Amino acid sequence: MMRSFKKSLLLLLFSVVLLCGIYPQILWGIGHALWRFQVNGSIVNGPDGKPVGSLLIAQPFTKAEYFYPRPSAANYDGTASSSSALAVSNYALRDRVARTIGPLASYAAEPHAGQPVGPDVEAWFDADHFQGKSGIVAQWADAHTGLAQGWVGADSTHADYVNLWAKAHPDIVRQFIHDNPGTPKPAATDLAVVFFEHFSTDHPGRFPSAVTHGGADGKSVTDIEPVASGSDIQSIFFDMWRTDHPDVALQLVPGDYVTTSGSGLDPDITLENAEFQLDRVANQWARDLKRDPVRVKQEIQAMLRAHAFSPGDGLFGGPLINVLEINLALRQRYGAPA
Amino acid sequence: MWTLPILLLAVTILLSIPLSRYFAWIMEGRYRAPRWLAWFERHLDTGEQDWKQYTVSMLVFSVVLFTFGYVVLCLQPIAPLNPLHRGILAPSAIFNTVISFLTNTNLQHYSGDQHLSNFSQIFFILPNMFLSASIGFCALSAIIRLFRGQATVGNYFVDMWRVVAYIYLPAAMISGIIFMHEGMPMTYRTEQTITTLETGAMGTDAQGHANPQNIIVGPVAAVIPIKMLGTNGGGFYGMNSAHPLENPTALSNFVTTFDMMIFPFTLVLMYGRMLRRKRHAAVIYSVMLTLMVVLIGWTVIFDTLRPNPAFTGNPAAHSYTLPANGSAAPAQRISVPAVAALPVDQRLGNLEGKELRFGTSAGAVFAAITTDVTCGAVNAEHDSLNPIASLSPLTGMWLNCVFGGKGVGMINLLLFLIVGVFLAGQMVGRSPEYLGRKVGAREMKLAMIALLVHPVLILGPSGLFAATAWGTKAESNPGPHGFSQIVYQFSSASANNGSAFDGLGVTYGFNNNPSPAPEAVPLDIATGLVMLFSRYLPIIAPIAMAAFLGRKKIAPVSLGTMRDDTVTFGLLLLGTIVIIGALLFLPVAALGPLAEHFGPIPFGG
Repeated sequence: MMRSFKKSLLLLLFSVVLLCGIYPQILWGIGHALWRFQVNGSIVNGPDGKPVGSLLIAQPFTKAEYFYPRPSAANYDGTASSSSALAVSNYALRDRVARTIGPLASYAAEPHAGQPVGPDVEAWFDADHFQGKSGIVAQWADAHTGLAQGWVGADSTHADYVNLWAKAHPDIVRQFIHDNPGTPKPAATDLAVVFFEHFSTDHPGRFPSAVTHGGADGKSVTDIEPVASGSDIQSIFFDMWRTDHPDVALQLVPGDYVTTSGSGLDPDITLENAEFQLDRVANQWARDLKRDPVRVKQEIQAMLRAHAFSPGDGLFGGPLINVLEINLALRQRYGAPA
Repeated sequence: MWTLPILLLAVTILLSIPLSRYFAWIMEGRYRAPRWLAWFERHLDTGEQDWKQYTVSMLVFSVVLFTFGYVVLCLQPIAPLNPLHRGILAPSAIFNTVISFLTNTNLQHYSGDQHLSNFSQIFFILPNMFLSASIGFCALSAIIRLFRGQATVGNYFVDMWRVVAYIYLPAAMISGIIFMHEGMPMTYRTEQTITTLETGAMGTDAQGHANPQNIIVGPVAAVIPIKMLGTNGGGFYGMNSAHPLENPTALSNFVTTFDMMIFPFTLVLMYGRMLRRKRHAAVIYSVMLTLMVVLIGWTVIFDTLRPNPAFTGNPAAHSYTLPANGSAAPAQRISVPAVAALPVDQRLGNLEGKELRFGTSAGAVFAAITTDVTCGAVNAEHDSLNPIASLSPLTGMWLNCVFGGKGVGMINLLLFLIVGVFLAGQMVGRSPEYLGRKVGAREMKLAMIALLVHPVLILGPSGLFAATAWGTKAESNPGPHGFSQIVYQFSSASANNGSAFDGLGVTYGFNNNPSPAPEAVPLDIATGLVMLFSRYLPIIAPIAMAAFLGRKKIAPVSLGTMRDDTVTFGLLLLGTIVIIGALLFLPVAALGPLAEHFGPIPFGG
């Protein structure tokens, strides 16, 4: 026993020296002698010579001049990789995708081919009928309690708006407490569903959204107000609109445009996804540079073709585009976006 | 689509043949090391051991390694190589993590990129990965020697050193070099800070300055080779082999996948060589291969070739009646509304949780293989697999012998095999025998203990956690999938796999974390204990079984002997595995993935 213990310590000592000291040091030496770029994280420099990112790590792009990476469950945080971990059957997954698609969905068939769906979603929302019943917002909150509560918790201004409403309607809050003896002091999120039910009756065809006004002193002020149009309507209620219009042909959005990757840091998009974004990117650069959009589009298309690569040279999958690489090329060719 | 799995299997099978010769050569002690290398062996050697001494040495060493791991993790806040000043993990998280890496499970109730310093990665993760993998390897070697009828089984410490220094280390070095070339970091730095190309894209701080993007780097290329070769599976980064710096390209993904397959494949052939029963080993190999092909095909068909059902339409509304539950509750009518399809192009299959650069079917292929060989690395989010596809990783862990972990998978298969010959013996009315030796009541009892540990430790805790707040508060997905998350966690712990449905709230994080996952502590403790028992009982019991079996006389081969190197025997083995596996686990499969697949999607709000 004692002998085993001594030899165990010796084996551990030998192993630690070999595995924690010598082995990584040899790899470090080889790596730094041969592939300095790779072993330091594939960091590339921008136009001003400063590091602008790792070719292997996705970073966010929001300007229309740039190609967008895949959505990220990690918010592109290179210190905390994360997937969405949403199950197929979790409505949060479908909802997230529907919200992304809503504002950019367009018709696929004549007579409206190519036209955006958004205005029609707003008109349908204004009419306030879903599946033959009135009160779209109330039905939304009833069916998706979690989403309604999520809206209240998403921003302090949302919670303030609900609290203000609750103060103005003490009788409704009293009724809520009576119905839910488990929550004697309901917070804003607890009241979410009741709030939306009453909101729907008080403001048919409206949804509370942030609206920015130019204030009297020149400073802009953002308030929550009932609105009938805008990105909230187009995104949040796209899925319900779709349920009312299941057979309308719509242009397909590339799968990787709406799905989050395993790491949240996937640096690539599919070539189809890039081509799906091409019109937006080309038109924006053409506007910035005051050039012919058709020519710009041709140039960028050629760049896409030059930068496309396929996993295992096409053995394992179709062509992909590294987002940072293509955007860096755009930046170098056309300068900074306006 | 199918190129990747076919190429992977072909390369692995081809290389496993010559490698098995090398492994056998090393384990038979025929390699004469040069003097400076032999010095190490000489200092470790305590002479020939019988099976009890060998097992005791293994346990003593495990205790030493456990203590060492505990100390290293506790030292993290004051140790060097920690420029981000990472603190000490919560006690339950340390308990879980130390067991997890000691038992080759690598279930991670922490996130490597957020919670560990490079000191912990090098001095805790690295040696544990090499040494825990070697323990299984040595256990199999001991069993082989016992089956040969040897009274002594070699020396544990010499065996361990040979496996580490002559087998794992060279293989890890080669893989590491490929990985560095492909873009894996290998540095003692912790972080790279960059300003994004689009200024302010990461948001701005309180003073209006653009936030940088910080990227964690480190000695990744040293950890990942042994993570895969040792079928450990514990990622340097939280999202494991899905992380672009842990798996930069399609080639690195190919090598990564190959690395986790090659040793389990080779060990089956080594078993045959060392026992001089190559045809018998080939039959076992074929049975395992058949199961693996089915499991890979299953995930590819149901995940890569099918769309994610979250976005597809379900045109027909339907409703059904829940019968009255007792006298109090009236019958309920449940209606499932029609669902319209979202306009998503799903030609590439289910892309939620998948990376693009590995290739179209890479996530599905990896999910099947990593659970078959009990590696537990993931290159896609298993929580987001199509429910019917997730049956394959679950089945891989439930059977736990589709090649399985190094050594341990082969040992598990031996248990099924003993049960198989026993059943066959009962059917034809002969006393069962294996390798010409009669399988008696004592051997059967030991085999059954080892075999039953696994289902008991999966189903028991799963039931307990599913029924209490310990589990229900940790679930992150609704309905049957929440149940699947709990079952997956304990299956992974008991199979010493380490992959997870990541949504389950298991992370406590640092000891001073003000808002840990609410049920992290019970999950830490429960999975920790499950890993410990399901690792050591199925190693010790089979060694004892082999010792008793090896002492018996070899009966001469007669006409009535059941031959163990025929197709018939292969089918018998396959049938035993499938029937026992199905009997044990079909009910939980029905409550989890199958219910999710056939139930309404989306499920609830």
